Amino acid sequence: MSQATQAVGSTVTGTGLTKYYGAVAALDNVNFEFGPGLNAIVGDNGAGKSTLLKILSGVVRPDSGSIAVNGKEVDLKTARDARAVGIESLYQDLALAPTMSICDNIFLGRELTKSYFGVKILDRRAMMAVARNALAEIRIKMPDPATAVRTLSGGQRQAVAVARALHFGARILLLDEPTAALGPRETAAFFDTLRSAVRQDGTVVMVGHNLPQVLQMANRIIVMRAGHVVAKFLPEETSVEKLTGFMVGSAS
Amino acid sequence: MLLAVLVLVSVVFSLIAPGFATVGSLDNILVVAVPVALLAMGESLAIYSGGIDLSVGAMLGLGGMSGGAIMSGLYHGQTGTDIGLMLLGLGVALAVGLVGGLFNGFVIGKLKLEPLIVTLGTLGIFGGAADLISGGEPLSSFPPSSFELGNGSLVGFLPILVAIGIVVLFLFLFVERMTTLGRHIFALGANRDALVRAGVTPNGVILWVYALAGVAAAFAGFLKASQFQTATPIAGQNTLLLGVAAVVIGGAPLTGGEGTVLGAGLGAILISVLENGFVELGLQSYWQVVAVGALVIVAVYVSQVQQRRKTFGYRHRVRAGTVPAGLMLDEGGSEEHAT
Ligand SMILES: Nc1ncnc2c1ncn2[C@@H]1O[C@H](COP(=O)(O)OP(=O)(O)OP(=O)(O)O)[C@@H](O)[C@H]1O
Ligand SMILES: [Mg+2]
Repeated sequence: MSQATQAVGSTVTGTGLTKYYGAVAALDNVNFEFGPGLNAIVGDNGAGKSTLLKILSGVVRPDSGSIAVNGKEVDLKTARDARAVGIESLYQDLALAPTMSICDNIFLGRELTKSYFGVKILDRRAMMAVARNALAEIRIKMPDPATAVRTLSGGQRQAVAVARALHFGARILLLDEPTAALGPRETAAFFDTLRSAVRQDGTVVMVGHNLPQVLQMANRIIVMRAGHVVAKFLPEETSVEKLTGFMVGSAS
Repeated sequence: MLLAVLVLVSVVFSLIAPGFATVGSLDNILVVAVPVALLAMGESLAIYSGGIDLSVGAMLGLGGMSGGAIMSGLYHGQTGTDIGLMLLGLGVALAVGLVGGLFNGFVIGKLKLEPLIVTLGTLGIFGGAADLISGGEPLSSFPPSSFELGNGSLVGFLPILVAIGIVVLFLFLFVERMTTLGRHIFALGANRDALVRAGVTPNGVILWVYALAGVAAAFAGFLKASQFQTATPIAGQNTLLLGVAAVVIGGAPLTGGEGTVLGAGLGAILISVLENGFVELGLQSYWQVVAVGALVIVAVYVSQVQQRRKTFGYRHRVRAGTVPAGLMLDEGGSEEHAT
């Protein structure tokens, strides 16, 4: 099990990634290199940002192109494959099961079990203990892990998803518009969490719409438009105006 | 809550129908509840997973007929080996339930078809197959051990059927609460994407769900055939309604993702109490079906109201914008419910 292994400085590179949906090129020969710190992807609606993250998380297969983690080529057929190389994701819609408890959600797909006479039985006590720790790590006020997720606010749900990703030793954390559903206070708390993840040498890849926020926090920014990466910046080289120009296609 | 309703209904019946509150009557209520409870527990899993199995009633008939055909075909009055024969019949019935259930699960999972339509189709297939076994005729002349299975008692007073019902209840509770399969069944119903993205393939879960539902239904059919010493293709008539009713009365919403087989078991008992009470009151037993139908509608209403209350945002509609839209179960509810 990959329990909370905080490896240092992971990089993920994509080469010639292409993905068509029918005649629509969601990604057309996209190349990138994401390193330690916060890597931001910005772009207009339909630019292909979510598609790129889905490919990295193993839920969508590219038509062509390759992905390497720390220089080693990887074949991501399922979400499990991605996890095995340390890639965890937080989806735009969070992918939580609302009727189930916080603890059940954190452990979905990798439940802890104890074996009695060859029969595997859920180890609830162990899972609850681990869930409490994982939630404490991210410092957002949360009810007991036995509480159903549907009773949580948007920010708390977000926190559950982050806790799940971070706790399971994400070396590369993928975030698709993580603050879309949050109020201002929850957004601030979330970025606090994110900063501490980045400080611990994590590699975070985030799709963001809030350009000032992106400029303030990101270590690297790529701009996408209509399936292409149209620009790459360090935050100090660019501005909101410049980014917007590339996003809508008036700059080049 | 359901327990309270059950107690209330029982008290009312014992006040107005003198024959209701006797030990014999209690035994009878539980015995009658067992086949419905088995059906309902299998159905529960399908409903938790966000699906439904309409073929369980037909499978009850087919399970009874296939086990019955083996027993009546091979039994010629011999005494020594008849337990083996009964077990052979049981084994065949369970195997038929397993194959039928796996077929449902395979088609639903692999071909990605709606459970409602697939199991409506297999309702016809299983029902027709049950008729084909004997040309629609009932089967009887089973070995004595099958009579014992359906009508005997353990330690003098506990009907064997009730003991079986309790054991099966614990098996289902075990799956529901103590296994990863149980977690995955609920997650499948709550949010299929969550399960897929957690790296679990839904098809394996779906196979398990419908296989267990098929086996439980066929088992119920075999027990019913043993109890009445007759297997008939129409043994499952109305039992689909009763099975689904027990699950819904037991508090599981048809939207999936939650519920407990304990509720389904209590639901089956409540249905049986109604039947018994109506009989003791001298009403025609058809009234039971009418009452159960009405009860289903009430139960669905109650469960919907509870859903609203359990979801974040019910008391905070003003701040409802903080909840991702897809997660709000009730968009149409009105403001005056809020406290
Ligand atoms: N499953 C799908 N089937 C068909 N087309 C799709 C699918 N997913 C994405 N697309 C198309 O691919 C293109 C890129 O979509 P994608 O979701 O990656 O954009 P995005 O940059 O994340 O946009 P947004 O900012 O709106 O989230 C769009 O034209 C979209 O319609
Ligand atoms: Mg997107």
